[in-house]
Amino acid sequence: MLQITNLSASIDDKKILDGFNLKIKPGEVHALMGPNGSGKSTLANVLTGKNGYQVEGQVLYQGKDLLNLPIEERAQNGLFMAFQYPLEIAGVNTNNFLKTSLNTIRKVRGLKELDSLDFLNLIKTKIKKLKIDEKMLNRQLNVGFSGGEKKKNEILQMIILEPKLAILDETDSGLDIDAMKIVADGVNSLRSKDRSFLIITHYQRLLDYIKPDFVHILVDGKVAKTGCSELALELEKVGYEDMATSK
Amino acid sequence: MISNFDEFQKANQIGGELDDIRIKNFNIFKKKGFPSKKEESWKYTDLKRILYNNLNKLEVPNNKKTSQYNSEWLLKNFQHNQIILVNGDFVSSTFSFEAKDKIKIIPLKTVLKDKKDFEKIRDSFNDQKNSLTSLNHALVNDGIFLEIEDNYSFNKPLVIYNFFNKSSENKIINNKCFISLGKNSKLNVLECYKAEDSIKYFNNTIHHYSIHKNSILKKFSINKNLDNSYYYHLTNVKSYSNSIFENFVFSSGSSFLKNEIHCDLLESFASCFINGLIFLSNEQHHELKTNVNHRYEHCKSSQLVKSVLLDKSSGTYQGKIYVEKDAQKTDGYQLSKALVLSENSSFNSKPELEIYADDVKCSHGSSTGNIDQNSIFYLMSRGLSKEQANRMLVEGFLNEAIETITDLNIKSLISKLFIEKINKTKIKTNEH
Repeated sequence: MLQITNLSASIDDKKILDGFNLKIKPGEVHALMGPNGSGKSTLANVLTGKNGYQVEGQVLYQGKDLLNLPIEERAQNGLFMAFQYPLEIAGVNTNNFLKTSLNTIRKVRGLKELDSLDFLNLIKTKIKKLKIDEKMLNRQLNVGFSGGEKKKNEILQMIILEPKLAILDETDSGLDIDAMKIVADGVNSLRSKDRSFLIITHYQRLLDYIKPDFVHILVDGKVAKTGCSELALELEKVGYEDMATSK
Repeated sequence: MISNFDEFQKANQIGGELDDIRIKNFNIFKKKGFPSKKEESWKYTDLKRILYNNLNKLEVPNNKKTSQYNSEWLLKNFQHNQIILVNGDFVSSTFSFEAKDKIKIIPLKTVLKDKKDFEKIRDSFNDQKNSLTSLNHALVNDGIFLEIEDNYSFNKPLVIYNFFNKSSENKIINNKCFISLGKNSKLNVLECYKAEDSIKYFNNTIHHYSIHKNSILKKFSINKNLDNSYYYHLTNVKSYSNSIFENFVFSSGSSFLKNEIHCDLLESFASCFINGLIFLSNEQHHELKTNVNHRYEHCKSSQLVKSVLLDKSSGTYQGKIYVEKDAQKTDGYQLSKALVLSENSSFNSKPELEIYADDVKCSHGSSTGNIDQNSIFYLMSRGLSKEQANRMLVEGFLNEAIETITDLNIKSLISKLFIEKINKTKIKTNEH
């Protein structure tokens, strides 16, 4: 699914990722943990295609050179990122945005575009599961949404777009326990043998609900340690600093 | 400049006061010429130059005009009353949805010839705002005279169609429109513009609205068809006690358009709302100039203008709130926001407050910028192309102005026309 080899990324000559390696196979759930400033969000941004980074190294996504794909083609090819800070976009209607996004992606996949009615039926069943108020659909995209609503909206997009690889950038931050369970249920409902996840988080808590196959600890722009889900528990006890030094 | 005034004057002599008014005003115009940027209120719109470069052989229409129009131009699936003007002249009116005895409609041509009716509009010929106003006084030949009685609310909107056919080519068309709304009455007016093919003409028009006690007049001006027309639209509004004037301007069609709206809030609790969008491409030049004059206490005014400039277009908003000494407890607000999306496009904004009363609440704001790149990234990360993302953000940005429309039927009509327009426009932005 995804193979990252010796990836470096810097911004204004400051190196953030430095020799980062990661391999994700179809169906796997990987957790990436790390202290503040270790480069977690940078990795997510670079994979999604955000401008402003000087990037070196190689990223193969389904055999394609990901770094040379335009942003929208990455999404059209099934890459999805749930943003840490979903943007408030004034004037853009949430429902209209979701429909346009889905239909653009369906078109690329050779599927029939959904008309307003079919789309409404689809979205209604999905928002119910996420306990999202229907009124949200007619509001401006993320404008005035609470932190929890914004994160749920990201998960809603993920569920509708049915990506092949979903990157969740600190989706758990700012969520209360109930919302976190709903978000985790959303992710778990999508787990399948051809879909992979990269879950970026500070805390082990989310991983109680979404059980990863692998946990990676990111320190200073590279993977310092990789293990199974127990690694996250251990990390919780000893903290990042000790973990990074105890090889 | 304008070659055939004498011919026009002779052909339209009526042996009354108007003959002298025409000659007097034409001489004033001759002296001043078309407005240029030397005049403060034309600082951002050098009309003299614009006409010189694009329409340097303007003629006054002769009496050989035709009144043909394409019936495809009429709004469909939208119930309405209508007045049709072709080349500025009154052609027909239909008030199918209304009580006819409550409405007095006369072609202005008839009013100009009738001594008694002319008395009612005589004062308006004293207005010497600028040389175009004088020119209009000199050359006006037709238009609309509409009076609505007290206690009458229209069932359906009135659409005023302004059609222009080939006879308008290279002509300067001057007309006037008078609408008076009695007490406790209600009217929605929708102005639509459409010209045949790509004919070039200049329409200089003056509208007068009187909104009497407790009445509501909502006016929507839709100019969305990209064409070669040049317009100067002056609107004068007199608002009396507890009345509401709501004006929405959809400024997007013609090569050149200057909309100038003067609203006098003359008695307490009158309110005035002027909102609109300016959406330009190619080499279009549009200006919206407003003068809201708070002449009495306890009045309210509010303005929101959102603009998007593409290609080599330029836009201007000059908004002024004037508060007289006695107009205490005034509530005045205005906001202009613009996105300038190409290096060669520009936007000028001149918000002005002139306040002589000491107990008022007035605020204004203005911002000009570009599309937020993070928003573009967000939308593209959901599979939208850059063009789609730009379009969605521009549409959302301008939609905020449309959201101010309080009449739901008209809002959905304008919204539809707006979507049509934006889907036809190529949205190019500067690369970073």
